[in-house]
Amino acid sequence: MSDRDNGSLQQLMAGLAHELNTPLGAIRSNRDVLQRAIGRLQEILADETVDDAEIDQIRGLVKTLDEVIEIDQIAVDVISELVASARRLWHTDEAAKRRIDLHKVLDSTLLLLGHELKHRIEVVKEYGDLPEVECFPGQLNQVFMNLLLNASQAIAERGTITIRTRGSDGDAVVEIGDSGAGIAAGDLDRIFDVGFTTKQTKSGMGLGLGLCKEIIERQGGRIEVESVPGEGSTFRVVLPFGAENAAPR
Amino acid sequence: MSEQKATILVVDDEEMVTSALRSFLQLEATYRVLTFTSPLEALDTTDSELIDLVIADFMMPEMDGITFLKAVREKRPEATRILLTGYADKENAIRAINEAGLYYYLEKPWDNDHLLVVVRNGIERAGLVKELQARAAELESAHEDLAGFRKRLMQALL
Repeated sequence: MSDRDNGSLQQLMAGLAHELNTPLGAIRSNRDVLQRAIGRLQEILADETVDDAEIDQIRGLVKTLDEVIEIDQIAVDVISELVASARRLWHTDEAAKRRIDLHKVLDSTLLLLGHELKHRIEVVKEYGDLPEVECFPGQLNQVFMNLLLNASQAIAERGTITIRTRGSDGDAVVEIGDSGAGIAAGDLDRIFDVGFTTKQTKSGMGLGLGLCKEIIERQGGRIEVESVPGEGSTFRVVLPFGAENAAPR
Repeated sequence: MSEQKATILVVDDEEMVTSALRSFLQLEATYRVLTFTSPLEALDTTDSELIDLVIADFMMPEMDGITFLKAVREKRPEATRILLTGYADKENAIRAINEAGLYYYLEKPWDNDHLLVVVRNGIERAGLVKELQARAAELESAHEDLAGFRKRLMQALL
């Protein structure tokens, strides 16, 4: 596995691990509660006589059991959704072309980046009518993950990321806009150069925009950027719907 | 202070967490447990409710846990404050905890036995703080009486 695949895999794993923690914490606690509640019920029932006070206790315990089961179901649903999303994005070695729904890819990516986004960034989805796109999905997933992560890191405190999609003349258009710091005019020409960065620390584990551009162009598409310093940036990915894409390296 | 009357406020934007904590705390003790997924709504509650202990998540969309707990301190200074943190935000949380002077921080996923010990001690602490406040108020009032008496005495003599 190459370094850059490894970086994206790390991102995916970090997101998954963090997001799994909440439902797992709830299930872990609930399992303990179940054990304690059953212990109480056994104690009450041990002497084979049940008085009124004990009946009240049993009612309370049954109510607790009911709540615990309901929350565990929610937790299990959340875990299933996270695993399905990780699986959907887990195609880094996939060599075959597939038709993919870009909205599903974007939603899965958002779910796994939840820890980066949800507490300070409002994500606005303006999804248009978009047919499935025939492409090599693996690397494309990583491009969207990188664009969303960059957008998140461009916003210092709180802000908005807007995702717009539409179909246009045989192309799928995905725009990812942020209300962040924007890109200085002098840097705008260089951001797609491989290895270029303005980040002070090694905060990203991602591909870098240079490699994103390479991946998009290899699929027969293009990537563009508009940015106003202090107002934010918008990255536009344009991909042909059809099967005319070039093979991945 | 009796455990029966203690009120615990639990705030986390994930209902899975507030519900799990409520189920456990109500099973193991007869605390009154109020749960909120919105820190702003929880803060409103502290206007009308006496709170002995607060457990708040760190990362929440409306307001982070430290800011929330600082706001609780303004309204209910006697309440014991506990922060619940996820793994990824631990470093930031610890820095903030030292600034805000919290009673304890618990990491997710938490251990119920440990949680119960922390909560019991925290509620006992809140009780002691309340008692101390009451004694300080008595002392203050006695001091004022004494000052008034002294003033009247001086006026009478001079």
